[in-house]
Amino acid sequence: MSILNSDDLKPFADLARSFAARELAGKVAEHDRYPFGRFYEEVLAKLHDVGFLNAVLPIELGGTDFGIEALCAILENISEVDASPAGIIYTQALSQKILMAAGAGKLAASLSKAGTAMKTILIAFPVYIDPASTDTLPTAQITGGGYTLAGRIELLVPGNLTPHAVIPARTGRGPDYSFFLVDLDGKGVEISDPVFSLGLHACPAVDVTFGGAGAQLVGEENAGAAYFAQVLPQMSAVATAIISGILRGTYCEALAYAQKREQGGRPIVQWSEVTMMLANLSIKADVAAMCVCQSCRELRQKQNGYESRISAATLHIAELACEATTDGIQILGGYGYMKDYGQEKRYRDARMVQALLGSVPMKKLARIRCIPEVGTNTA
Amino acid sequence: MLSRSEVASVLSGFPKFEDSCIGLPYGPRMPGHMVKETRKAIAIARKFNEKVARPLALKLDRRTHEDPDFLPWDLIDEANRWGFYTMWIPKIFGGQGYNMPSSSFFLEEVASACAGIANVIGVHYLAVAGLVASGNARISKRVLREVIDGEKSGKPCLLALATTEPGAGTDVEEVELLDKGRVTCTARRVEGGYIVNGTKVFISMGHVSTWTVLSAYEDVRRPSETNIGFAVKTGAKGFSFGGHENKMGQRACPASVLIFEDCFIPDDQVIMSAALVKKYSGQPNRDVSQRYIDYVVSATRPGVCAFGTGVARGAFETALQYAAVTKVNGSLLINQEWAQCLLAEMYKNVLLGRLAYTEANNANSLRGLYRILQIKPVYQYLRFMPRIWFDKVISPFLDLGLTSRVMGKLYFDHAKPADQRCCSGWASVAKYAGTDLGVKNCQMAIELMGHRGLRQDAGAEKLLRDIKLLQIYEGTNQLNRLNAFKCLIAPAVPQVKVFEE
Repeated sequence: MSILNSDDLKPFADLARSFAARELAGKVAEHDRYPFGRFYEEVLAKLHDVGFLNAVLPIELGGTDFGIEALCAILENISEVDASPAGIIYTQALSQKILMAAGAGKLAASLSKAGTAMKTILIAFPVYIDPASTDTLPTAQITGGGYTLAGRIELLVPGNLTPHAVIPARTGRGPDYSFFLVDLDGKGVEISDPVFSLGLHACPAVDVTFGGAGAQLVGEENAGAAYFAQVLPQMSAVATAIISGILRGTYCEALAYAQKREQGGRPIVQWSEVTMMLANLSIKADVAAMCVCQSCRELRQKQNGYESRISAATLHIAELACEATTDGIQILGGYGYMKDYGQEKRYRDARMVQALLGSVPMKKLARIRCIPEVGTNTA
Repeated sequence: MLSRSEVASVLSGFPKFEDSCIGLPYGPRMPGHMVKETRKAIAIARKFNEKVARPLALKLDRRTHEDPDFLPWDLIDEANRWGFYTMWIPKIFGGQGYNMPSSSFFLEEVASACAGIANVIGVHYLAVAGLVASGNARISKRVLREVIDGEKSGKPCLLALATTEPGAGTDVEEVELLDKGRVTCTARRVEGGYIVNGTKVFISMGHVSTWTVLSAYEDVRRPSETNIGFAVKTGAKGFSFGGHENKMGQRACPASVLIFEDCFIPDDQVIMSAALVKKYSGQPNRDVSQRYIDYVVSATRPGVCAFGTGVARGAFETALQYAAVTKVNGSLLINQEWAQCLLAEMYKNVLLGRLAYTEANNANSLRGLYRILQIKPVYQYLRFMPRIWFDKVISPFLDLGLTSRVMGKLYFDHAKPADQRCCSGWASVAKYAGTDLGVKNCQMAIELMGHRGLRQDAGAEKLLRDIKLLQIYEGTNQLNRLNAFKCLIAPAVPQVKVFEE
């Protein structure tokens, strides 16, 4: 159970937990078959029905306005069972946050109007990159009355499910970039089949090639990095919540198995090496839950340096999760490596979540480079 | 300064020189031609990677996701054409007789392209080791001759080893645990043979093998005393396959469920039993069982280390290639110091893995299963004698009961316990060292490559899926740590107890 359990947040946690128990538990491996099995559209529709897909959108913009802390509670509990739907909710929140940061809240509202079909409210985003450190962004040119895009963007989530995407692109030669809203059904857009990826299979991604595709500038030109930086602390905290859920799921499944499985004539939980491994899993899960709580507190208080502390928590907890999910499989032995159990999926998903918002080394280096006196010396 | 006896006395203290520096005494004793032979094995593997493994690896992985029941028959035919299923079968049984340590170098190469494909070749030799280490020359000859014939006819004949049961994984790797465990595969004595009932799980290449080397128990309440080994042929009445295991990685190599329902296995397919052991050894069957397990895992765990080293290398090479062509923040990754240090760290892990399996193989060569084959005169004799000599003169002797009794006596009565402990300990150390280093490298590659590393078509993510299995099979790394402690450390501490917590 999460420690995000204040009176305010408990209903969200309970809602997510019951949703996961009802719609996800027991079907995780089946959902994970995508793109080689069917996609769970009905589950996604239900996520929309309960308001999870518009959780960060204010009520006046047609959202449910649960807020970031509630989103953390929701995704932590969903990810304990299956992180894939959490990935879709995460992407939707990130896209909406970027639009709002760019002053395009009304645009977000129009895309997410109440009563609109689930598929058309989704807004795709390349969640696995930090556009600033990506040298191969698409380019945008002014042609006639608007912009057109050329180039390619990889792993656009969930680009095969929606016509709308927020795409970072460069208008000049420098590192600055801008965000554009693109109609993926429009001319000059070529979408690949869903990419076969390491994990989060039910949070699909596609590669998109633009060849003169029409695009609508979101906010100001060359202000993409500023909008991204504005939403980064909040979305990092949400990523920590997903990882925390994965860690909790890893620990719970390992413990349950160790209590049941016998080797050498006794439950393996009584083997002190296994006990030690479980203890380490529980420590990592508890530290992660605490980091989610503290990140939410930091977001509320916004004291000097809070962005850095939240980012550090995400990086650290993701690293712990990669270790823990490796050990989580180990405790189940051969069974842990099979898709009949949840551990191998958590092992894969943890690495996917670790890569959200950019690669680990780039995120680490950015922490020091953003200090002005260091940044000026390391061009 | 020190007399010879003083040196010997000092070096016999913990850690014993003989147990911890194997390569030094082994170096001068190694037949020089082994280097040439090993170079050739590596070259063949590289050629195979170029022509077969690399072009196939990702396609095959994708294919097994599209069709979970897919079996890699074409790949097996190809490996058979390349002669891989007889390369490490000793010449006395009609094989090509490459030296055993060269198989580790070969497997590292192939695993650097695809661990699943490497396993399609390597796991066959796990069963070969299970067969030959029994000392039963007659049944070994019969089965291995079919492998040789399968290569000539183009109809592959592979071997699988079946020990793991639904309720007993770690238990079947260690006699101390076996008697406390929950084994259920039974062999009941009947006229002319045994009736076997039970289920085996996670059996690599089970579906596609012709022979299965099977362990069962005449009395499941006393499994270590009643352990019995069989060679059972696919198609035997009462022997069937359940489904494929749906694994995270190494999907080119199917893992099968084997079901035995009143399966009759005749006496001439018994590899090892308490009754057979009595004919050549005065030791209790329990002790012989432990020595047999030690022989098998001592010979095969360095191979798992080689798999791990190969995957570690695959991760390094994938990351290196990515860093060489990818610009981040305006400059190539390969020109950024942090990336250079990370790649150097990954390369170090590859070298350490290779050193670990080399030293474990040195232990086997000097004091273990294939010691006899690598004594210089024996090695040269086997190298230069014409094939017809083995086929016409030596081969008939293998059918004699006396030959099996002599081999059994050599393996189980004459081998020194200290030698077996050393080999088993080193094999365990190599196994968990190489596979843990492999996991580290795969994680580093995934982190370095960011979003590109997450895609199956970029290769790194498959390595991460593949490597994890290596920490589990052939005994979990936790069991191997305990075994290393038991074999290499515990003898120095009189009051220590292992597996008795």
